[in-house]
Amino acid sequence: MNIVNRYRNPIFTLLLLLIVAALMFNGMSASTATSIVLSGVTLAALYFLVASGVSLIFGLMDVLNFAHGSLFMFGAYAGWTFYTNPRLIFNSAPLLLLFAAGLLLNPLTARFVALPRWMRWLAGLAALALALVAARGFPIDRLVAMGMTMTGKVIPTELAQEPIETMLLRCGWALLAGIVLSAAVAARSVEHIQESARRTLGMVIGLTILGLAILLARNVAEQFILQTENNWRFLMAIAVGAGTGGILGALMEWSLIRPLYSRPIYQILLTLGLTFVFDQVVRFIWGPAGAFMEIPSWFSTQGKECPSPDLFAWFSQHCDSIAFFGRPFPSYRLFIILAGVVMLVGIGLLLQRTRLGMIIRAGVQDSEMVEALGINVRRIFTLVFAIGAGLAGLGGVVAAPFLGVYPGMAPEFLLQAFIVIVIGGLGSIPGAAVGALLVGLARAYGDHIVLAGIQLPGMSEAISGSPAIARASTVLIMAIVLFIKPTGIFGKKE
Amino acid sequence: MSNILEVDSIHTFIGQFHILEGVSLSVPEGSITALLGRNGAGKTTTLKSIIGLRPPREGHVRFEGAEIRGRRPYDIAALGIGYVPENRAIFRALTVEENLKIAERKKNDLAQRGEMIFGLFPDLKRFIKLPAGQLSGGQQQMLAIARALVPENRLLLIDEPSEGLAPILIEQLMESIRTLSAHTTILLVEQNFRMASQLAAYYYLLDDGKSIQHGAMKELVNDRATIQRYLGAA
Repeated sequence: MNIVNRYRNPIFTLLLLLIVAALMFNGMSASTATSIVLSGVTLAALYFLVASGVSLIFGLMDVLNFAHGSLFMFGAYAGWTFYTNPRLIFNSAPLLLLFAAGLLLNPLTARFVALPRWMRWLAGLAALALALVAARGFPIDRLVAMGMTMTGKVIPTELAQEPIETMLLRCGWALLAGIVLSAAVAARSVEHIQESARRTLGMVIGLTILGLAILLARNVAEQFILQTENNWRFLMAIAVGAGTGGILGALMEWSLIRPLYSRPIYQILLTLGLTFVFDQVVRFIWGPAGAFMEIPSWFSTQGKECPSPDLFAWFSQHCDSIAFFGRPFPSYRLFIILAGVVMLVGIGLLLQRTRLGMIIRAGVQDSEMVEALGINVRRIFTLVFAIGAGLAGLGGVVAAPFLGVYPGMAPEFLLQAFIVIVIGGLGSIPGAAVGALLVGLARAYGDHIVLAGIQLPGMSEAISGSPAIARASTVLIMAIVLFIKPTGIFGKKE
Repeated sequence: MSNILEVDSIHTFIGQFHILEGVSLSVPEGSITALLGRNGAGKTTTLKSIIGLRPPREGHVRFEGAEIRGRRPYDIAALGIGYVPENRAIFRALTVEENLKIAERKKNDLAQRGEMIFGLFPDLKRFIKLPAGQLSGGQQQMLAIARALVPENRLLLIDEPSEGLAPILIEQLMESIRTLSAHTTILLVEQNFRMASQLAAYYYLLDDGKSIQHGAMKELVNDRATIQRYLGAA
């Protein structure tokens, strides 16, 4: 009796879900039901990759990151660019790295330069002007234009890329812009001054060398990447997307969010504002149209034996689809599910089995006390922000062959991720997983009834739905959950 | 005897409020020093100012001769200062073991000092795998102190350890703190004057954010008038 009482809520929820599922799948064939469930879990995996980061960041730092959808989108674009035409990356990364190197001189500039307030504004403007000089006439459109992989047409390297000397000059301006900006923000860094000069210089020199190395190796590296077998290139692209998301996230936290930890409303305005900035940056660089990304050949081989009769056959055949109960299901979507599950397990292990995870779990409750134990909590915050953003970037690349890349993916996934964590409970990773499943399954089922209608017991004809209902269904689930448990399924009482 | 900690007329603000208006104190090495005063006198804020959670705007804080005012709390703590806050602030979702592990500054801190810690607080060893949130109030207080013992700390800042504990537990706790003081220096904030007077060798008296009187505890115990006036207890 005790046990029944203790687990009353989960048991009740489970029964309710079973009844709902029985009604939903009433009169449906096993193959249709399986395909709906698999489609739902595919969506759930993608929603989870975005929502888990939002939840992780909110749990530890109480920051609701509206820009998370944008990080997902930016990761997708970065991975896609790396996969199809990495030229843009090799030509812009050196500039960004040298700018960052200049900015990281901050602890040293702060030691020698203490500008009055109006001079800091002036220095900020000067840095902006220098950055504009560095970027003036930078041939983004030519670099982005499709190279050899999509159309088979090769744009001669000399035409698309600027000569090394021009690029070196740009690098110099970028470094200068970074240094001037580091003087402009010097007042913010009083606490950093004690950091050792050697470490600072080491980082600055390291970044400079990395930037120049990328620049000098750009042709060799591009050839190497484009000649890499497409599956391995895709895995590399996933790493690039995750890395881009992580670096962007760390930068965002360090530069913009850190000064606002005591002002929650400002954080929301800031991250919301960033979504517009990211949207425009993506449109500016890659255009508003969006693009498809090819599915790597492990998941796109077509042949006589296809679709593969089962999962084991697929391992040798690499068919584009696998048959479940006689109906083919795209094998790439199984890869998406796999990615979602791997990340769920990975986050779980990180939180439960590592020292960092222990610190995160402690920090969720009381980050001041964690700091008083001698742990640099600000660094942990930056790291966790980077991890959350990296998950979003990874999700973006994983989603790209399935959904393509387009500017609208940011708001779409942000909205779904927010619905997911509200359902699951803010700050809870299991909650994010369960919420993602509910939302994903609802979306897939909604899409199904739009096409085929729904057959309720005792009715002779199916009722068909409209696409609007499919979209509204997730919000409806959220409303029901909030009505029964306002903190979400796994949420703790405030 | 040298002073391990010297606080020199610090001024600390919380928002617009001027909480500490010139607190000075010295903690001699190898003893227990009690920080006394009424509610709101600024005792807790003084500890938070030392560890850096409420950085003072003016004045000096020197630990083993080096200025630590203005440094970040993690940096100050890493010098060898343990902090046991008044609300205990144990991590409820972590197990007892994890609560101790998280305080490690070197990899084998807990392994090295575990025997000493569990000797002082045998209960913790029994409940080592239990989530700390399930411990009783007294056990949580012991865990909070034990956590400060895990790394090699040469100074402990302990805030109101007896708060909310039953008298029998207070006796146990006093015994533990007395044993501790053989290993490390302690700056103790305590409302319970009887407990403070039995433990501490020296005292500092705060009132309205200022340190107004200090000396050997022996002398204060006989100074009924001062006790009555500033501590409101007999």
